Amino acid sequence: MMINLSNYALGHIVLALEMSHLANFFAVLILLSMGTLLFLVKNYALPKSFYALSALLSTSLFLIVYAADYLLFFIGWEVMSITTYFLLSFSVSQKTLHKYIIFAMSSALALFIAILMIYSTQQSFLYSDARESFELMGEFQGVFFLVLILFAIFVKLGVIGFHYWLVDAYEEAHDIFTAFLSAVLSKMGVYALIILVVKVTQPMLALAIIGVMTSIIATFKAIQEDSVKRVLAYSSIAQLGYIVTVLGVADGMSGALYHSLIHTAVKLLLFINIAGVIYMTGRDKFSQLGGLIYKMPQSFVLLLIGIIVLAGMPPLGGFSSKFLIYSALLDTKYLLLLSGVMFSSASAFLYIYKLIYGVYLGHPSHKKLESAKEVSLSFLLPQYLLAFILITLGTFPALIVPYINEILLESSLTTLSFTHAGELISAFAQFNGLIVMSAFGTIFVLVVIFFVSTRSKAKEAKNRFDIAYCGEEPDESTHLHYGYSMGKELARVGILRAIIKNSSSHFYEYLGKQTLSFAELFRKIYSGKLSVNFNIAILFLLLLLWGSLR
Amino acid sequence: MILLELLLMLLVAYGVGFLYYGLYRNITARFQRRFGPPLWQSFFDSIKFFLKEESTSHGWMFYLGPIIMMSGAITTLFFIPFFKETTNFSGLSSYGNLFVVLYLLVLGPLGNALGVGTGGNPFGAMGVTRGLSRLFALELPFYIAVIAIMSLSGSADISEIAAHQSTMYALAYPLLFIGALFSFIGMMGQSPFDVVGAPVEVYSGPASEFSGKFLALLMSQSAIYTFAKLVLMVNLFLGGAQGFLELLLKTFVLFLFVISFGSLYGRFKTPQSIDFLLKVPTTIAVIGLILATWS
Repeated sequence: MMINLSNYALGHIVLALEMSHLANFFAVLILLSMGTLLFLVKNYALPKSFYALSALLSTSLFLIVYAADYLLFFIGWEVMSITTYFLLSFSVSQKTLHKYIIFAMSSALALFIAILMIYSTQQSFLYSDARESFELMGEFQGVFFLVLILFAIFVKLGVIGFHYWLVDAYEEAHDIFTAFLSAVLSKMGVYALIILVVKVTQPMLALAIIGVMTSIIATFKAIQEDSVKRVLAYSSIAQLGYIVTVLGVADGMSGALYHSLIHTAVKLLLFINIAGVIYMTGRDKFSQLGGLIYKMPQSFVLLLIGIIVLAGMPPLGGFSSKFLIYSALLDTKYLLLLSGVMFSSASAFLYIYKLIYGVYLGHPSHKKLESAKEVSLSFLLPQYLLAFILITLGTFPALIVPYINEILLESSLTTLSFTHAGELISAFAQFNGLIVMSAFGTIFVLVVIFFVSTRSKAKEAKNRFDIAYCGEEPDESTHLHYGYSMGKELARVGILRAIIKNSSSHFYEYLGKQTLSFAELFRKIYSGKLSVNFNIAILFLLLLLWGSLR
Repeated sequence: MILLELLLMLLVAYGVGFLYYGLYRNITARFQRRFGPPLWQSFFDSIKFFLKEESTSHGWMFYLGPIIMMSGAITTLFFIPFFKETTNFSGLSSYGNLFVVLYLLVLGPLGNALGVGTGGNPFGAMGVTRGLSRLFALELPFYIAVIAIMSLSGSADISEIAAHQSTMYALAYPLLFIGALFSFIGMMGQSPFDVVGAPVEVYSGPASEFSGKFLALLMSQSAIYTFAKLVLMVNLFLGGAQGFLELLLKTFVLFLFVISFGSLYGRFKTPQSIDFLLKVPTTIAVIGLILATWS
């Protein structure tokens, strides 16, 4: 369905809205996030303007998704960036805000130039003409166009090197808004990548390589962090790295879409869970948390489901999307890239375990934590919903394949075969999620029955200090919350130190310094003294006069 | 019928796993010029532990740790076919593929890590930290080799990969095999990559806090895991097997090599083993991959 807005045309510029399957898919992601996050709102005293801005933000998101031409898309993109700025400003420090706005504006500027380049070849903003317009561009122009577009999108996605604003913003933003940033705003980058790059050009190996580098580097950065939200922020970058990778190869769209859905759901679940922990304890660092498992058992189980998905383990939904990504890379014979993706995926286990250990396991790092209670239903309900979705997608991995096929057909790509909802069939292999789930479930139940029915009885420990401790007796003063800093020793490994210690912030700080000293040069001329300014104005007028008289 | 087959697979893995564990203790004993325990000692030990009257627990998650580990081990086993070119003893492998198995292999240990964390024993958490820090470096050469193999066989199905080898991949692509073998030594918990459990050191490692029947369950799953990993390796690199005799022979040769290697070398510290694994075996595997798939 396409709504042509040509009645409101400006000259010969045609604006249009279109309801495609792809657009609907991303609209569902937006609705899922808004629907689940609304549950949380009543726990916080939010200013009224927060709601107004959120409404504006959502509108802009739907405009981005349903636009069928680049001009409306750009308007939506710009409104999104600006409202994000104001929403961040409720809790974010000045420095982070400056970082965000500089990146957002330069990204918007690059996007605008690129869109104008597309327009100038055929005098059309419509998506349907974009591929032809791109082919009509000269080689140099084409490359320039791609560089601009990719810069704009990479900033939104937080691809490594362009993530300078992202991690701080995620950490400092309001807990609800962080979830929204990770779940939805990053997906807008994915959507932009699909409609502006994947649909317009051929598959790009460079994109895939950048994606793999991003996921590896972000994973090792995540391992080093002590703040829970920063770990999740880096984890977002890494997961989006997989999506970027698979969008860089042919037939990668199915994996990218599937992973977008999984990532949206799992990041909502994790951020809501952590928001609950922060709400209950007021602490957001692994070193200050710990031992909450028996205080908040439901939250623990929900986080457990979340991390199993994040790790991409069968039998839950994370494996389904990882499987499609791996298959696409294997099918196109990018074997080293696939090794890189699997490497990053295996490294992620470290921060994933830290995520659950640092918060819920081990010993409480402070006495206050022992009085923590389970969070209210408004935190738990959305998590149950999301967990249900993720478990269903693990058991019936092909449940959304018919829908993904519609999107692929629309973009005239090869579709996935479909037999029944339990069996996910990629170009390279297949697996039956229903069998994996029921096999694991049955075995688990049998082992439990066997284990509980053995003659020997387990005795509950007297208290949490009743542990095997080299023949000594630990007490309150013994530091037992060991392991929240796991992964720190990786900095001692030569190869990994380069990844962990280097940071793009040095580059951007250098760039900032250079810009300032360049600005100083102008300040010398335009010094702010009235007399000098007056003289400059006179000089300028004279120049104008001279120019017009010639 | 399938249930009976699964039960038989489990019994074979359980029996052979404990037999190999007994052999491991005897053979390492000979390397150290002492006499080992009786062959079935570990098996009897595990039965004895199951019957112990008391063991300390730390709540329900502590229970679940070893249980998830055990379930992971059995599930992994069922998704690995014992023989090639036949559906006998193929278990559930036609419903899964190599990716499923690769992930199931780590599902159990991660589940157990949760139990360890709940126990609150810092030595246990220390072992888990070492294990997870080492894990990705350990997996990388193995992944590279396995990916090359999947691409060469044109399939991610384990029995198809086994059947696809006219000459076994270990001989046809030795570099890939050597790369994967380093990882395999670590996966079997052998020196020089055995810092996780660190046997015969001060006690540390994931098993620290588990006693009685918890320990019994951990010992039993270790036997099953050992056999499952050996069968997987035989299927992927040693051309699979067509009967029990061939399977036992091939797994035993592989096992003997791994434990001999383990007896001869000292232990790496965690950063050392990561450094080594990322440099030497990974390079070998990458060269192997490039040579194998160049055309």
